[in-house]
Amino acid sequence: MILFEDATRTFGNRTAVEKLNLSVGKGELVALLGHNGAGKTTSIKMLVGLLQPSFGRVKVGPYVVNENLREASRLVGYVPDQPFLYDKLSAREFLEFVAELYGLTASEVRVAVQREVERFQLGSFLDRLTESYSHGMRQRTVFAAALIHQPEVLVVDEPMVGLDPQCIRLVKDFLRFYADSGKTVLMSTHTLEIAEEIADRVAVMNASKLVFDGTVAQLREKVPGVLGTLESLYLALTTETGNLSNTNGEAIEHSPNPVIEP
Amino acid sequence: MAISANIESDAEESEYLEQIERLPTHEREGQLFWKLRLRETRSQLRHLFAHSRMRTYLVIGLSVFFWVGLFILFYLGFDFVVGQVGMPGATYHAQTVQFVFTLFFMSLQIMLVFSAGIILYGGLYASQETDHLLTLPVRDSRVVLYRFQESLFFSSWGFFLLASPMMIAYGIVVAAPWYYYAYLPWLMISFAYIPCAVGAIFCLLLISRVPHLRRIVVGFVALLVVAVAYSSIWHTLDIKDADLLGAAWFKQTFRRFEFTRGEWLPSTWLSNGLLEAARKQPVDQGDLPWFESGKYLIVLLSNAMFLHIILLWVGGLIYRTSYYGLHSRQARETHVHMAWIDRLAEKLMWFLPRDTQLLIVKDIRLFRRDPVQWSQFIIFFGLLMLYFANIDRFRQHRQDISVLAWVNIVSFLNLAVVGLILSTFTTRFIYPLISLEGRRFWILGRLPIERDSILWGKFLFASCGSWLPCAGLVIASDVMLKVSLMVFVIHQFICLMLCIGLSGMAVGLGAMMPDFREQSPSKIAAGFGGTLNLVLSAIYILLTVLLTALPCHFYFMANESRLHTQIVPPANLHIWLSLGLVGVVLLAVVVTIVPLASGLRAFRKLEV
Repeated sequence: MILFEDATRTFGNRTAVEKLNLSVGKGELVALLGHNGAGKTTSIKMLVGLLQPSFGRVKVGPYVVNENLREASRLVGYVPDQPFLYDKLSAREFLEFVAELYGLTASEVRVAVQREVERFQLGSFLDRLTESYSHGMRQRTVFAAALIHQPEVLVVDEPMVGLDPQCIRLVKDFLRFYADSGKTVLMSTHTLEIAEEIADRVAVMNASKLVFDGTVAQLREKVPGVLGTLESLYLALTTETGNLSNTNGEAIEHSPNPVIEP
Repeated sequence: MAISANIESDAEESEYLEQIERLPTHEREGQLFWKLRLRETRSQLRHLFAHSRMRTYLVIGLSVFFWVGLFILFYLGFDFVVGQVGMPGATYHAQTVQFVFTLFFMSLQIMLVFSAGIILYGGLYASQETDHLLTLPVRDSRVVLYRFQESLFFSSWGFFLLASPMMIAYGIVVAAPWYYYAYLPWLMISFAYIPCAVGAIFCLLLISRVPHLRRIVVGFVALLVVAVAYSSIWHTLDIKDADLLGAAWFKQTFRRFEFTRGEWLPSTWLSNGLLEAARKQPVDQGDLPWFESGKYLIVLLSNAMFLHIILLWVGGLIYRTSYYGLHSRQARETHVHMAWIDRLAEKLMWFLPRDTQLLIVKDIRLFRRDPVQWSQFIIFFGLLMLYFANIDRFRQHRQDISVLAWVNIVSFLNLAVVGLILSTFTTRFIYPLISLEGRRFWILGRLPIERDSILWGKFLFASCGSWLPCAGLVIASDVMLKVSLMVFVIHQFICLMLCIGLSGMAVGLGAMMPDFREQSPSKIAAGFGGTLNLVLSAIYILLTVLLTALPCHFYFMANESRLHTQIVPPANLHIWLSLGLVGVVLLAVVVTIVPLASGLRAFRKLEV
């Protein structure tokens, strides 16, 4: 459902993402892991149409993102790392606006809003202006907006930052449920425990390259001698990538200048 | 197996196609964005009247005051012109009024191109909302249009505020027929649309072609426009007084500004449309003024609509690629060092406690590294300096007592203008400092420093930082006007008092009424506290200037004209002036100490 084919993004003479090859199928939840500046957000921005690959391509379903932006956007729901809400709208008004842009009819909008209100427990603040929301309320509203059209693909960038334990539980359960219902979920995160708990696969990026793509069990095989949690495996992998080859079969080299993402 | 997979894939694709076909049409998208705008506006208005009533009424009141003032000014001006050159239809009427109209609208036209382009740039390329919209299945041309409508509104409201009193005043003076007023709004709207659309298209093309040179190109073009305008004005006014406003001067000036009357310029179409509509008398039998004016209206409307289509086309074609181009540039790594200005500031503050020195240097660094702050400072103070540099016309009449009296009055007015500009800066940049600090208060709050020194630091930073440029401006004005040494010293003294008072008021009120929820300094300044600070500052400036300007004026008149005024004997004028100066000091003490003391009390108890 999601396919990165040699997707590369450069910023001037710096490479933020280099020849990324990654696919995520229906019913899969893949966690994209990596240090700050590893290229996770750039990859996600290429997927949702906010950046164009310098080389290669990104596909959502049958559509190449940059060639069929509108079509690809219809299939995707996106929760960014810095979510946007209109301060002077209520959550209900915001959800209605987004739903109508996806082409839902008036009756479908009502049903969809009600469904997301119940799913993310928005009822208590649904008709208040979003300018008065806490971080958790905002994040739940953004999730609801991203899911209002029941997208085939859900892309989530750092979903748990600043959320309380109750919200984290809600989001984790939901993401797992969504993938289990046959949809595709790509989640970028720093929280390794969450990736370990809910992801079917983990994709690890380091210094703009994909250095691992597989299950946690496969990662254990890849990093022999390291036992324990995903955290220890991840740290071993990302500090030792100089001695490893990436999934593209190329030797990994650390960039002397880490990429600063815009 | 392969066949069933293919069937499944086909079914999926047709399901996707069905979803995509249901996406809104262009018209429906437009309706949805208008609905969004209406909901936001309604909510904004409700909020304004519920929470910022004073500010709202103040803005409305001042706008009405400004509009009426302009109307009176234009009415008197046109009344004078009509008295000299006759009513519409007279030989010189069209020529004279057309000269005024085309020059005025040409200037506004250029400003509209720039402001619409710059505002659209912010809306399309540096907005979180746009980033959000670009991830939704919205057409690129719709995003461009949505943002353009916003830039059109924000760049042209000033044009409507300036041009509407002028056009209505002209209509009344020349007793224009009803269709003049019926055409007026459509002429204005279609005119404003054209330069705004040109600015928007230029912005898209610029970012699409040379995103890395955008600031240089805009800066260069702006500089060029300013240079041409300045040179034209300079040549127009650089003439002997005897020839000023004479027939030869008028002809020469009329020729010099011929470029503003080009037949292809929207400003010319608007001017001609207005002049034709205002004309009651037909020139010959087949001449219909309403029809002639209507033709210009159609030209304006059709060009506006044509540019609307072009903008949509260009937007749909290049917006996304220009967005990619701009956001794919290499991030600039800014290495900062201890600048000479920081070292100099530290040396100049040798007498202050070390912690206060560090706090002030921190504020100086934040100011230096925020172009929004110092660029506005430079623009406003630069414009004032430009004005002060051009007021030497009074020098040619130094023997005329009435002119000398005007020189004295103008010098005090200049001082008041400097104070008023400073008050907008203290409101916009100094008043929000404490509110913004509140969000980072855990840093300062946990340091082993007295809370009072934080506030004193901000007060010293504001008063010293504002005093230097203000004193420079007042010196420039006084030198150009060649005021007496006594007036020069008095001005510098008042300037110092104003800087201290305005800074104390802004820091004190900012600490008394902090807004820790808001992150944007402009929104903090636009709240109740900021508005109160602005109003109180204006009153303080007027009182301070009046306290010294009046005795100075009488003292000056008594001494320079050798006229011994009956009302106030010259001996008493010294006392009056001295009392005025004492009043200025007392007023400065009150406006500095009272808000600062209250601010200090509130700041000590502050819990974030």
